[in-house]
Amino acid sequence: MQLRPRLSLRARLYLFSVAIFTLFAINVGTHLWGSFARNESLVAYRDAVSAAQLTADLEQSLENQRQQVLVLATLRETTEDPLGNDELNTAIDDLEAISTRLRRLGALGIEGTEDYYRRLHESASDLLDLWRRFYNSYNNEGPVPNVDTPTRYNDAQQRLRELDQRQAYLAVQRSNAIDRTIALTDRITVLGFIASIAITTLLVVLLLRSTNASLLRLKIGAERFGSGDLSHRINEQLDAGEIAELARTFNEMSGKLEQAIEEVRAAKADADNANAAKSMFLANVSHELRTPLNAIIGYSEMLQDELGDGAEIDRAQFTHDLSTIIFSGRQLLSLINDILDLSKIETGKMQVSLSVFNPGDLVAQVCDTLSPLLGQHHNTLVLEIDRDSLYDIESDAGKLQQIITNLFSNACKFTDSGTITVSAQIRDEILDIGVSDTGIGMSEAQQAKVFEAFIQADASTSQNYGGTGLGLAIVREFCEMLGGDIVLESTPGAGSRFSVRLPAVPVSDRAVA
Amino acid sequence: MSGNPKTVLLVEDNAVNRDMLIRRLTRAGHTVIAAEDGEEALSKMRQEHPAVVLMDMNLPVKDGWTASREASADPALADIPIVALTAHAMDHDREQALAAGCVDYATKPIDFPELLAKIDKWLGQR
Repeated sequence: MQLRPRLSLRARLYLFSVAIFTLFAINVGTHLWGSFARNESLVAYRDAVSAAQLTADLEQSLENQRQQVLVLATLRETTEDPLGNDELNTAIDDLEAISTRLRRLGALGIEGTEDYYRRLHESASDLLDLWRRFYNSYNNEGPVPNVDTPTRYNDAQQRLRELDQRQAYLAVQRSNAIDRTIALTDRITVLGFIASIAITTLLVVLLLRSTNASLLRLKIGAERFGSGDLSHRINEQLDAGEIAELARTFNEMSGKLEQAIEEVRAAKADADNANAAKSMFLANVSHELRTPLNAIIGYSEMLQDELGDGAEIDRAQFTHDLSTIIFSGRQLLSLINDILDLSKIETGKMQVSLSVFNPGDLVAQVCDTLSPLLGQHHNTLVLEIDRDSLYDIESDAGKLQQIITNLFSNACKFTDSGTITVSAQIRDEILDIGVSDTGIGMSEAQQAKVFEAFIQADASTSQNYGGTGLGLAIVREFCEMLGGDIVLESTPGAGSRFSVRLPAVPVSDRAVA
Repeated sequence: MSGNPKTVLLVEDNAVNRDMLIRRLTRAGHTVIAAEDGEEALSKMRQEHPAVVLMDMNLPVKDGWTASREASADPALADIPIVALTAHAMDHDREQALAAGCVDYATKPIDFPELLAKIDKWLGQR
């Protein structure tokens, strides 16, 4: 069961508090009402007691006064003795006291007795007035008012009793009403109390249950994240406020973790690839080193055997075999140098060493040095050095020399009875050195791989043509280090052209700048 | 079984290494014929039916692994033992050669006395 699923925890607690306070207020209200009713009953009881006492006093006082007046009237007829001033004053004061009691009874103002009181007041006032006149004329000559008036007296007493009865009746009625009110408020208080406990318990259960459900979703989510299910998402729609916020935070956390793990995975894959590449590099290096070593060791052992068995030595054959050993040794050396260069480039330790030189001179010199290679496959060299366009530049002469050497040896290697053309010129401050041949050329697929280390256009190429498969990789790296690039155009069977393009800012401009 | 009971077929595309091995094997008393690629090796095997084949694995036209597989699948050639010669020196290179149907394996640079022992062993088994 889900009560108000979209309420925030704060709203739930707030509603809960409001409900508890409302219940508390109801309880306090009913209690106050009960209290008030009890006070009312107390006041009514006190008034009733006062009224009863006053009524009894009045009855007694009227009775006493009547006795006194009747005695005095009889005395005056028989003795005609005057009354002393003190006696007279006391009698007048007694009458005043009765009047005062009468007024106090009226002042109680008990509801529903007004008519009775008014009738009592008329009757009693007449009586008191008669008696007052009696006392005032007692010592005078002549007659005094007749005070033997039982009808008047009885009338006053009768009305006093009626008022008393009325008061008693009202007091009982009122007391009953108040008792009922008290019983009602007591019941309401008890019911309110029981309801408060029940509702509070219900609210606590609902609050706990709905909050538990929210927390359970968070817990299940956290457990699934913990067990590695990072694609899991806690349903944020089922909650609002802080818990939805928390769910969102959890989801974001798991999203970020998922991303981080993805990155770690990618990094590991990269590392694995790098590692595999390194292993492949080592396997290739091992393979490349073994090929010339096979010739060196094989020929040396063979010559040793031939010398050892004492047969006549064919000097020409012997010399040829020795040059094969030397050729293989040199190949091994250049291979080691290439591997070292490539390793330096890959670890970022290869440095550019700048000097000022004329590129035309450099190209001519390298071609001259390498010219013996042309004879191996009966090739001819064509030099196209545009002297007019060439000027002194600042670059790395050693690296440029190695670039030209590698391209030149490749051209010689893959061309038979053809032409090797080496050109050099500067156009728009770009030095362009071209090495082209009329050799076997390369397909597009071969061209795409030719600059990668240990790749020759064909797996069999190194056996057929020698070479390390590292030369072009080094050439491309050097071109990039010198701020330029290398472009290859080739047609299978027709030949290849490598164009090296390097920045060639005139040295004089540089000095000025 | 027709063929030359003492003939060794050397399949090697690198001229320097091929000439060197031909000379040394000849000096050791073997009759040596040579092929430069896998295709030529298979045709020489069919024509000459040599007693042992020494086959480089990195060959043009048809590489050594393919040629070895085809030879062992061909009933006429399956009984000719092929010894792989390769500059690949890793463990899996050896397994790859044996999986292709080669009976033995020698790593370059060649230990010549060991190669002679291998040849003698396979000649003796025929």
